[in-house]
Amino acid sequence: MRCAVERLGGVMGGKFLTNTIPVLLGLLGVAITNLPFSIFGSWIPSPMYALMPIYFWCLVRPDLMSPGWAFAIGVIHDVLSGGPPGIWAASFVATYAVIDRQRDAFAGLSGWGAILGFATAALAACTAQYLIYCIYMWRLMPVSGSIKEFAVTSVLYIPVAFLLAWIHHRFVGPLRSEI
Amino acid sequence: MGNGTWRISRSRGGAHLPLVIVAALAVALILIGKAQSSLFDRARAGIVDWMRPALVATRTPMEALNRWVGSVGEIFVVYQENLRLKEENARLRQWHNTALVLQDRIKRYQLLLHAVPDPSISSSVARVIGRASHPFLQTMILDAGTADGIKPGQAVVDQRGMIGRVFLTGQRTSWVILLTDLNSRIPVSIEPNTDQAIMAGDNSPMPVIETLARGVQLHEGDQVVTSGDGDILPAGIPIGVIVADGPRYRVNLFADQTTAQDVQILDFKQPPEHPPAVSPGELPVTAAGLPPAVAQTNQGLPPPQLQPVAPKPVYKPPSVAPPVQPAPGTADDNSDSVPDNGDR
Repeated sequence: MRCAVERLGGVMGGKFLTNTIPVLLGLLGVAITNLPFSIFGSWIPSPMYALMPIYFWCLVRPDLMSPGWAFAIGVIHDVLSGGPPGIWAASFVATYAVIDRQRDAFAGLSGWGAILGFATAALAACTAQYLIYCIYMWRLMPVSGSIKEFAVTSVLYIPVAFLLAWIHHRFVGPLRSEI
Repeated sequence: MGNGTWRISRSRGGAHLPLVIVAALAVALILIGKAQSSLFDRARAGIVDWMRPALVATRTPMEALNRWVGSVGEIFVVYQENLRLKEENARLRQWHNTALVLQDRIKRYQLLLHAVPDPSISSSVARVIGRASHPFLQTMILDAGTADGIKPGQAVVDQRGMIGRVFLTGQRTSWVILLTDLNSRIPVSIEPNTDQAIMAGDNSPMPVIETLARGVQLHEGDQVVTSGDGDILPAGIPIGVIVADGPRYRVNLFADQTTAQDVQILDFKQPPEHPPAVSPGELPVTAAGLPPAVAQTNQGLPPPQLQPVAPKPVYKPPSVAPPVQPAPGTADDNSDSVPDNGDR
């Protein structure tokens, strides 16, 4: 498979396709978040699936997940969710800034530490979203929904991280960045 | 997981400049969206119309998976569920017969009273192809838009009750703001006393009853329906029942908006009610005996259309026959006949 990917990269522009995998997974996360089904039942907010590839590739391949892509994924999230424009985009960009500043600390984590690292990023995203909404609506919003969203996103990162790691090793990892 | 095992491909400094730029872009987007929300709404409708096939395609396998996962759990309770459904079916048949009898009776009463018939309500059925369940947002995307006759403001219901109302329409898609959303405000009527109130969403499963008249006491189980105020929604759509929550009242919704997959969009066709035209006699200026002001047509407003009014009826006392002049000599007779106690 790896040889096939490398061959594709050399011959048919497959490298470009491979490089778009992180962004495509971010967009897939947006789509899954806004699907009309929930595996968590009625009143638990949808997890922030889109944040997972942003966090993952911001750490391991920031050239494939630039701030611009995080912003674009956030804008698509705003469009699909039907909410006020720019709020998800600003939340993802703020989270990206946190990850970017603490990249050395986050990248050194492994195992449960990596989960805690993601939980920190999810906390930053939820906090940014909460503050932006409070300013946007100009009132104090209920905080319980944000806590639930943070909790369910952090827990779900455990299985998703294995999937992202597999995809990275299998497809994205072989084509190293030239920067 | 395993983040520490991979080499970091790029130094941190390179990403700083674009981060500042996209942060500024994000802030600008929020400000523009706040100032010109219609601009963003049009763009949103166009993008989602374009994405509709992808959303429908994504929905199909997920729906199958959801149904399969659900059916696995239901295998273990299918016998009990069957018994419960049989019992419920028997009860519903009784109610069905009762409803038919009552419906006929209401029709007879309406004929007797020459009652105004209810406004006609047609509906369209649409599928839910997207749902946002976020801490500050509860919306749905439906696969029907202006091409199907959907308009903003229309009520969205499922077989149990109201779910929300359409707030944005594209060519083939439309957005629904759910009753539980923070921005949802619906005028409601609470049975049996038809107490008027506003039901407001707060992103919790049960919306809050607001602006209830002072002194009104509600009871748990009172039914909440749409009031129809403002001619936006039809009156009488069932919403839920009252539940006490400390000093406040909440509404336990009939419809489960998080599991609804196929919904009805009600087209409320009642024409807007205009107040009757004002007659000159009813104008306060005329009533005060002052001359009427000249119509100000220079503001682009047409002069008010006054109805010709018949002159006010003047009270006339009933005609009385003129008093008959007594014949000479008769008065003396009369005076004699009437005893005058003062003189005598």
